[in-house]
Amino acid sequence: MISYLKTNTFPTISMNQVLIVVGLALFSGIGLSFGIHSLVVGHDHTFGTSREVPWGILISPYVFFACLSTGLCIVSSLGQVFGIETFQPIIPRTVFLALITMATGLMCITLELESPWRVGFYALLSPHQSSNIWWKTTIYSLYLIFMLFNFMSLALTKKKMAKIFAIIALVTVTMGNLNMNSDMELLGARGFWSENYMPLYFLSLSTLTGCAGILLFSWLGKTFNGQTPNIENDMALKATGKLFTVLLLGILYFTGVKIMGGFFPQFTKNPEAMSLLVQGGFALNFWIGEVGLAVLIPLALILATKGKNANILALAGVSCLIGAFVLFYDLVIVGQLIPHYYQYNVVDLPQYYTYSPSLHEIMITTGAIFFFLASFVFGEILFKKIYTS
Amino acid sequence: MKIKDLEKLNDEGVESLSSKERRRFLQFGLSITGVFLGGTILSLTSAPKVQGALSSGNVPMTDFPYSPHYTMVIRQNHCIDCERCLDACRSTNNVPAHGYRTTILERSVPIAQKEQRERIFMPILCNHCNRPACVRVCPTRATYKDTTTGIVLMNPDKCIGCKTCMAACPYNARYFDEGKRAIDKCNFCYDTKLKESGGKITACAAACPANVRIFGDLTDPESAAYKLIHAPEKVVWVLRPETGTLPNVFYMNS
Ligand code: SF4
Ligand code: SF4
Ligand code: SF4
Repeated sequence: MISYLKTNTFPTISMNQVLIVVGLALFSGIGLSFGIHSLVVGHDHTFGTSREVPWGILISPYVFFACLSTGLCIVSSLGQVFGIETFQPIIPRTVFLALITMATGLMCITLELESPWRVGFYALLSPHQSSNIWWKTTIYSLYLIFMLFNFMSLALTKKKMAKIFAIIALVTVTMGNLNMNSDMELLGARGFWSENYMPLYFLSLSTLTGCAGILLFSWLGKTFNGQTPNIENDMALKATGKLFTVLLLGILYFTGVKIMGGFFPQFTKNPEAMSLLVQGGFALNFWIGEVGLAVLIPLALILATKGKNANILALAGVSCLIGAFVLFYDLVIVGQLIPHYYQYNVVDLPQYYTYSPSLHEIMITTGAIFFFLASFVFGEILFKKIYTS
Repeated sequence: MKIKDLEKLNDEGVESLSSKERRRFLQFGLSITGVFLGGTILSLTSAPKVQGALSSGNVPMTDFPYSPHYTMVIRQNHCIDCERCLDACRSTNNVPAHGYRTTILERSVPIAQKEQRERIFMPILCNHCNRPACVRVCPTRATYKDTTTGIVLMNPDKCIGCKTCMAACPYNARYFDEGKRAIDKCNFCYDTKLKESGGKITACAAACPANVRIFGDLTDPESAAYKLIHAPEKVVWVLRPETGTLPNVFYMNS
């Protein structure tokens, strides 16, 4: 709509593009309808969560999309806020991606709530300032609004206004990200979280996924719209690729710390959980997802092509994003699997609690991912002019 | 040593307790004792004051933050796992089949220097912590600490079902009641037996044939719970002290 107003031309859409949007939206609808069903009948009947493991897989896409959005906002502000020219051509798409990733994340957390209809009322009427969850949701909701204004200003080529909203959004989302750390740290029962949600790690991880998202979705956008090569855009992507590589090395260090904790109890405060992750039931997730897909494969791909091949950068991006999703899943679930009374020699207490996502949870997660993809494609069609201007 | 540092130490377990130091603190006038950490016994009700007491030697007379300050003492070695308390809790408080407010854990504990193990039944319920992790994390104040009695209560109408409190409670004391679409937990029978009895007893305590669960008021020297906690030769402890929640449910062998 905005694009139309500004350029006075309707975006041209091919039949294939329409089919893709409709298909994605349909899949999204199917997935999310499982969420509505769960809401009606209660999670007890449809979710794999339990009294012992109250948070399921839906927390992972929430954390994943929220971090991805944070990373996208950070990278977009390199061009918008800090004025680094190389990054400027990718600003509009990055801002739009940041917007829809956060919307997807908030949708996931809403569907994870058992009584979400009480949120609007009591989050406002009975706020709890010492609750980090309250802060986080409030901060992320505000951030969503700021990003929306940021994007609208960009679409209307009001650069100054866009910059102001970009600054506010950046400050807001960084607060939200740091809050995520204290959020988890507060949960005294689960030491694993306080150990693994270190602010620097989280911020680097967010920026890493942000870079990966830009590399992947710029490539997808280009493929989808069949755009002609654009040198400035390619330069921006190469610069993003460089930042991505540096961050991969940083995350490699943190992954090394996790490995040490998993094998040597003296390096961790939570040896049971760390060993479950690194050499126990979650070892496959850890080594294939967190080590291979998230860090080593992208690093190897980039080093092999010296970061110059856009297709390979996109491949590195998708690998990293899948790995990061696994990482967030592990983080949420492993943190809950150490039995509360494990030091008390309780008869019949399992060594670890168990959790596996139910069909409903998987469908909702898939629906959310399709929702994001449909919004992305929708953006590619509607805002093509803004992205390339 | 600051209370924060003390909390980082490991619980030494009751086996290695000496009651000497605890007696010393009792003489100082600390009204309530329990956690044994690194050889030091802490007052559980008034953490900032204890910090003062430990660091400066300047010992205050503890005044309780709540009045009445409800507590429960579990005389653990008397429990025979008859589960009458569980039934009483369920019927008095309409606890649905898919949840529980209290349960009994069976422990198998090695007996010192022998191959044998001892079976112990350990009743657990909400500890009505003085620093409740659940209350701290709740975004809508659906769970809160009653300012008069210190009981950790629920207002189901405000609960959005985020389950953060379940994730935060170190004692597995909460469950989601699908009927109410809100969290439910032990409330010391606040709206049922406690109310009926004029603040004297809870359903589980009343139902226990072995007098395992002693309910009482920490501000009342005549209360049975008060007397048990202050008996100088008795060792009293709380569960998972390392989490720093400062429980109001105490355990002892008596
Ligand atoms: S035992 Fe758990 S539910 Fe009860 S007050 Fe303490 S933290 Fe809250
Ligand atoms: S589940 Fe309910 S009581 Fe628990 S933290 Fe969330 S809103 Fe509060
Ligand atoms: S005090 Fe009341 S609510 Fe709590 S466990 Fe006992 S009977 Fe149940």
